[in-house]
Amino acid sequence: MEDLTNIPQFTLELFGINLVFNTHTLIMTWIVMLSLILFGFLATRKISFIPNPFQVVAELFVQVFYDLTKDALDEKMVKKYFPLICSLFMFLLLSNWLGILPKLSEPTKDLNTTLGLGVMGFFIAHHAGIKKKGFKVYAKGYFEPIFFMAPLNIIGELAKVVSISFRLYGNILGGAIIILVVSHLIYSLILPPFLICFFSLFIGTIQAFVFTMLTLVYISVQVK
Amino acid sequence: MLSDIATITNLASYAGAGVCIGLGAIGAALGEGYTAGLANQAISQKRERSGDIIKNMLVGQAIAETAAIFALVVAVLLLFVKMPSDSLLKAAALFGAGICMGFGAIGSGVGSGFPGGEACMGIARQPVMSGRLTTNMLIGSAVCQTPAIFSMVVGLMLMFMDFSKMPLYPTWAALIGAGVSTGLAAIGSGYGGGKAAGASCEGIARQPESLAQVTTTMLVGQAVSQTPAIFGLLVSFILMFKSFPESAALNSSMALLGAGICMGFGGVGPGIGNGLTAESAVKWVARNLKATGELTRTMLVGQAVSQSTAIYAMVISLVLIFVV
Repeated sequence: MEDLTNIPQFTLELFGINLVFNTHTLIMTWIVMLSLILFGFLATRKISFIPNPFQVVAELFVQVFYDLTKDALDEKMVKKYFPLICSLFMFLLLSNWLGILPKLSEPTKDLNTTLGLGVMGFFIAHHAGIKKKGFKVYAKGYFEPIFFMAPLNIIGELAKVVSISFRLYGNILGGAIIILVVSHLIYSLILPPFLICFFSLFIGTIQAFVFTMLTLVYISVQVK
Repeated sequence: MLSDIATITNLASYAGAGVCIGLGAIGAALGEGYTAGLANQAISQKRERSGDIIKNMLVGQAIAETAAIFALVVAVLLLFVKMPSDSLLKAAALFGAGICMGFGAIGSGVGSGFPGGEACMGIARQPVMSGRLTTNMLIGSAVCQTPAIFSMVVGLMLMFMDFSKMPLYPTWAALIGAGVSTGLAAIGSGYGGGKAAGASCEGIARQPESLAQVTTTMLVGQAVSQTPAIFGLLVSFILMFKSFPESAALNSSMALLGAGICMGFGGVGPGIGNGLTAESAVKWVARNLKATGELTRTMLVGQAVSQSTAIYAMVISLVLIFVV
């Protein structure tokens, strides 16, 4: 039960500021990134008409997410935002699945990872909105329907970041805690594999997709 | 008699277990009853598919029961796990855990009954799609369970974290407030998410080629309906992890308890409202596939506006925690 609150950290003092690194999360994030780079390399090394297994999987991802992006954005913006959407999904999917391997844990179990991705999506969406509509029209959106609604509109925008990141974090952490507690109670007999199937593989896939789609839809709401 | 800390801790854990499974049994039973009712109607429409329909009904009911099983697990833990009784705070935390999981199971239980029932009706209407309908039902009702999972996380954290170093006043109020906040806020979100999932099963049966878009719209709609529950989770986390300065005055305790109650009740309405928006959006995506993009955007903007009441509640609870 001690695993629940124990976070391995590394503190670096620099010019009087304490920089704290969650070492475990960082290592897991790097494992995910390296596996994705390896996957990208294997999938594109020998592109041929008769594809190798990696190319088939890569083509599947590209096809599905290209269509989804095309539904939400204009033809011109698809080329720009599709790589982001597709790689975001692949990163989250692998992150959420990482916990099924022994000794490894999901980097998305740490709020810092999901909050970082949420803030990234927020800035990308607002940047796209300002670029498309111009700053004046963009800023005017906050004063609708009446001017004194502006503070609440701004809080509402910030609440989107909170909700998108806590949703992923809560689901993955919740799954991990439930697996831990139930395994502890029944001495790891029979049940844990089924729980891992449900929480890591099934819920993990759904939440990765939800996070990606919400990022895409937030961009789409800003540019339309 | 009551002055003994161990007795009070036991009392709190028994009372918590009772509240937990008592409230937790409400939702799942309603949801499963709804599923079974629609399964009867479906069989009367298409008697030759009764095997498929009954199988689907049982799978749907099993998923709807998940929330009640979560409540059962927490209640059993409260009854049988030996808790350290060195501080009265543990008693508050255990009772808070019971309240949290009990209320939290209601919404998800009722909600995940809707996709089960609509999937049974869908199989009667479009027997070829029965496999796809069951898959969509499983995805929809699994996402419905998210608010119950949040409540379980808060409940288990309250039970197993060590609060003994904190001052008794006002932390006892913060711990009960943490339970109330997520527990109540989860009701609306669970119910709302179920509405959207039900509409998606109905839509797929009506127009099978809309499968991909309907499932995507459903997931986005459900995710946004969960926002009030996430605000509740945020307030609970702040109440659990922030350390409050000791004060014997009653008003700081009441402010923290009030923060939890405020966010909890404030989250019920927006959750249901967002779910109704998502339900209609999904329903019309299935009838008018070409308008998927516009419908999704309109749904999101409408949900953001109806969520503003949850944001008011969150602002007031943060003011209660940090300012008062």
